[in-house]
Amino acid sequence: MESPPPKFALPVDSEHKATEFRLFSVAAPHMRAFHLSWVSFFACFVSSFAAAPLVPIIRDNLNLTSTDIGNAGIASVSGAVFARVAMGSACDLFGPRLASASLILLTAPAVFCSSISSSPTSFLLVRFFTGFSLATFVSTQFWMSSMFSAPVVGTANGVAGGWGNLGGGATQLIMPLVFGVIRDIGVVKFTAWRIAFFIPALFQTLSAFAVLIFGQDMPDGNFHGLKKSGEKAKDKFSWVFYYGFTNYRGWILALTYGYCFGVELAVDNIIAEYFYDRFNLNLSTAGIIAASFGLANLFSRPGGGILSDIVAKRFGMRGRLWTLWAVQTLGGVFCIILGQVGSLSGSIIVMIAFSVFVQAACGLTFGVVPFVSRRSLGVVSGMTGGGGNVGAVVTQLIFFRGSKYSKQTGITLMGIMIICCTLPLFLIYFPQWGGMFCGPSKKANATEEEYYLSEWKSNEKEKGFHLASLKFSENSVSERGGKVDSVTRPSDETSPAHV
Amino acid sequence: MAARGILLASLLLFSCLAVTCYGIVLFSSLPSTLVVTASPKQGQVLKAGEDKITVTWGLNQSLPAGVDSTYKTIKLNLCYAPISQVDRRWRNTVENLAKDKTCQFLIVSRPYDGSNKAVQSFEGTVERDVPTATYFVRAYAYNSDNVEVAYGQTTDSHKTTDLFQVQAISGRHVSLDIASACFSAFSIVSLIGFFVVEKRRGKQSQQK
Repeated sequence: MESPPPKFALPVDSEHKATEFRLFSVAAPHMRAFHLSWVSFFACFVSSFAAAPLVPIIRDNLNLTSTDIGNAGIASVSGAVFARVAMGSACDLFGPRLASASLILLTAPAVFCSSISSSPTSFLLVRFFTGFSLATFVSTQFWMSSMFSAPVVGTANGVAGGWGNLGGGATQLIMPLVFGVIRDIGVVKFTAWRIAFFIPALFQTLSAFAVLIFGQDMPDGNFHGLKKSGEKAKDKFSWVFYYGFTNYRGWILALTYGYCFGVELAVDNIIAEYFYDRFNLNLSTAGIIAASFGLANLFSRPGGGILSDIVAKRFGMRGRLWTLWAVQTLGGVFCIILGQVGSLSGSIIVMIAFSVFVQAACGLTFGVVPFVSRRSLGVVSGMTGGGGNVGAVVTQLIFFRGSKYSKQTGITLMGIMIICCTLPLFLIYFPQWGGMFCGPSKKANATEEEYYLSEWKSNEKEKGFHLASLKFSENSVSERGGKVDSVTRPSDETSPAHV
Repeated sequence: MAARGILLASLLLFSCLAVTCYGIVLFSSLPSTLVVTASPKQGQVLKAGEDKITVTWGLNQSLPAGVDSTYKTIKLNLCYAPISQVDRRWRNTVENLAKDKTCQFLIVSRPYDGSNKAVQSFEGTVERDVPTATYFVRAYAYNSDNVEVAYGQTTDSHKTTDLFQVQAISGRHVSLDIASACFSAFSIVSLIGFFVVEKRRGKQSQQK
């Protein structure tokens, strides 16, 4: 009658989400999903920022002005603002596998067509459309939140997000290298950069194929199959959107994420030029320093996610919020110092400290996001991710466009804005877990179940659509802190097969 | 005449002192002792990689003798006119020649022979990596320490006369255009293909 419960390579909870995170395993479905999602996200980051290190060549080929270059930089991060929210809804409705692979294959033509751009306008347009692919961040986080259980979800989200973001740093090394090889074969440089763009474009396309062929939406299968067998209900877009949009915590996290991730994107676009101008370095040295800012993501963002999970074991959700506030505020402090320091070695040290704290704050943010909503996880992830890009656009517009502020003044002011825009974290309050200043509510109905099931209407509950949220609410009791082991495991599981 | 000569000589002396003191060569310290001409006329457009440019240079014969005693090498450069420097900080003109970005393309470099009073000339093709912009030609004279000691240019001191343009290559090729179009179409078509296969597989498993 009922098929035997599937055996997983990793220990799982009642939703079949993995309770352990094993980095060097590629076991299906959990760790395989992890590797597919971070590699495809990495490819999108490489493509979106591929132009940045080659701008000195492109600006002469296309006759760009500083304003054109600044506008293209802003365009590259603004497309993803709405794309991330849309991606969130798409994940809720179609599943992360189809949503991310579709976006990646739909934006690959923009990367291929970068090779044939011939004017400032066409350059801006290809950077704008390529930037849409940064919405794969949302599908990455959604996929990890679907595959990994509460005790490790911060780690999974942090490593996947961080290693994807790494693409922004890696591209500053990859693209000049590819360009150099092509030029050394004998191709004139105004053609060599065009050929170089085929590399990130092909990488992006192949990663999308891998996601489609080897990926799976949830531990139990794909959305399509699960919907047909009745295990996953086909949800209504309007309600998914409504419950995500009306959750004030999503909006606060969108704002604060704009001042860790948004700041990171803005700095990616201006830091090479800052070192080049202020300390008179040559372009390749400035590029290496710029790359190291992005490459810190290898450990700093995952570190934030891991820290979030460690703190949650003892202090629950309140610990996650306090740590996020403290780390992001420290990031703001280092940013202020960076604008003031006048020596090269001092600047590099402060910049690295700044990058570690700001990227860790990104990881810590997505230790909180999976708990804001269960039904509308995609929409909340999308809003937060979109907020990150809004922060990047706003920061570049206010401080780094035109000649109103010198770059060092802009950086100091950006640091002050980070500290101010992190304060709203104090307003986040979960009735069942508390907030930064208040403990959990003493009322009888202040439970995880009540919080997550309030997202479903009674007629939907009658049809049993809310069962996944129910399981999640049971598993999330661990967010009360105090070493409560609440992760429910399938009762008929005798000994899970480990890899 | 003699006064002008003394003035020039003292300026030279002062600029040499300036160099020795700070190691920084300022453009305003260089005397304009070279006469430089270029073949393109005012407003003419040259095509990079195709058209030829002829430059001539020589010492201004009306100057007193001995002015060129330290010159060892002459380098002729293609330099950006002010209109091509607007809103392009990477082409800025600054006084410190080590940081000056006005002249980024070398046309020719030749050793200087003070005994040969004839005007030197060189004809070459405009390189393919020269961007679209408005230019003039400037020559720098270097001493044996490879430090600039004099200059000459085709335009006036405000860089407004005798400017010509270069039209760069686009860098595009028909083969690149076709490859971009094909790969783009391939991505979209393969996505549709995947959807079709998924739907068919879904129908098959339903029928079972």
